[in-house]
Amino acid sequence: MKRSLFILLSFLFSACSVLSQNSPGDALTGLWLPSCGKARVNIFKKEGKYFGKIVWLREPNNELGKPKMDKNNADESKRSLPLLGYLLLKDFDFKGDNTWEDGTIYDPENGSTYSCTIKMIDSNTLDVRGYIGLSVFGRTDTWTRIVIKK
Amino acid sequence: MVGRYLWASAFLSVLTFFSVSAQNDSIQNGEGEIDFSQFAGEAEVSTENLKDGIKRFCTAKITGISPTKLISLGYDFQSGYSLEANENLPTSLIDKIQATHGLRLAANFPVISRNAITINLGLTYMESNYAIKNGGNNPLSYSLNQSALRSTGINLTVFKPINEKHFILINTSHDLNGDYRLNEWQNPKYIKHSVLGVFGWKKHDRRQFGIGVARTYRVGEVNYIPVILYNYTSRNGKWGIESFLPARFHYRRTFSSRSMLFAGFELEGNSYRLKNRDGVFTNNFSNLELRRSELRFRLVYERSIYKFLWISIQAGYRYNYKFNVDEGEFFRGFFGKQEFVMENKLTNPFYTNISLNLVSP
Repeated sequence: MKRSLFILLSFLFSACSVLSQNSPGDALTGLWLPSCGKARVNIFKKEGKYFGKIVWLREPNNELGKPKMDKNNADESKRSLPLLGYLLLKDFDFKGDNTWEDGTIYDPENGSTYSCTIKMIDSNTLDVRGYIGLSVFGRTDTWTRIVIKK
Repeated sequence: MVGRYLWASAFLSVLTFFSVSAQNDSIQNGEGEIDFSQFAGEAEVSTENLKDGIKRFCTAKITGISPTKLISLGYDFQSGYSLEANENLPTSLIDKIQATHGLRLAANFPVISRNAITINLGLTYMESNYAIKNGGNNPLSYSLNQSALRSTGINLTVFKPINEKHFILINTSHDLNGDYRLNEWQNPKYIKHSVLGVFGWKKHDRRQFGIGVARTYRVGEVNYIPVILYNYTSRNGKWGIESFLPARFHYRRTFSSRSMLFAGFELEGNSYRLKNRDGVFTNNFSNLELRRSELRFRLVYERSIYKFLWISIQAGYRYNYKFNVDEGEFFRGFFGKQEFVMENKLTNPFYTNISLNLVSP
């Protein structure tokens, strides 16, 4: 009896672990291109939440030929952080209906962080809406999924 | 048998562990364990199940441009100046206007904000209260001293990108202007309609250029004029130009993305219905309109005071272009010979304006 229970629990544990990697919310993960085309963002899942990191910049260097830093950040201690590798999207929860909410998006061009919701229009298109307080005070940007040519 | 199950479940667990561990992204800023080279190289848009196609559009803004004001609460103050009524009246009369001041409110709601189209709905309210020494000697001064000039408007702005380089901008404004009081609103048939259309180019993220035509009251009365849009940010991001000629032109000095100084001018104007209360202009006039237009040469300092809340402080010199009275609405243009009912000369004071603004993403 004990042996059967142990086997059952082992299977359940494994099955849950595998399922957690394939939850519907994971459709968000992958490489995305914002409409401006200036950056590529890799969205990944960590500890049950979704994050997006800048992994490529069309113009990685500033006018002095040095890597672009987060020079507009209101927090002076973060101005020396490179934009490449910067967490643009943070703390998104999957809410069902192809929607991820409760996260934030950072705009390096003005150093502001906005509330954000993400809606998947189809498997390769996202509507990313940053807003202040109420969703009406916001802007939607459409991102497209990309793959790197080998 | 049991041993096989145990090995299978252990193998699945280990596999799962490694598949989780294979996600190298760190939830900290910085490189973590990422090899960025895997994301470099030529990319192609995944077209599987793509509903809207892969067409790319230019955005309405350029890099480094000052933020759009979603809600603005401001106060405008002009110091003292004189108003001299001309010879069309029985006598030439000079009145001392001690101050002109009033609230300026605006709200701007992004109704649709997508890559393929942006539509904004705006609401505006402006008032100009005139404090005139001894209540005013000529009918216009007397009338202005009795009741402020007000402008209540609604506007719609459509930004339609055609592709990554070209766009169309359309704006319509509908303003109820006059010396009406808040408990005595003016008939909506006197609403003034303005419209402009621009075809633009966005060569790159730091430059935007457009040409078009406008039906506008900025010159005090209805007119049709060409317009030029030009926005630019320097390569180092420290200065730029924000202009929509002839309405406004500003040189921008950017101290940071949250602190900017502007130097330039704005052409401000509209046509206001005057009620001719008590027949102060004589009873021969029932449809008087004040054609008001002024150039404001100014310095403007804008900065974030708390997150998305910005303060804007401006100071400058108000140059009067037109402050004349007509009977009724008609088109005079720049070369029309129609005489005004009343022509006035204003001296030019310094002015200041302060506003608090909630700015847009």
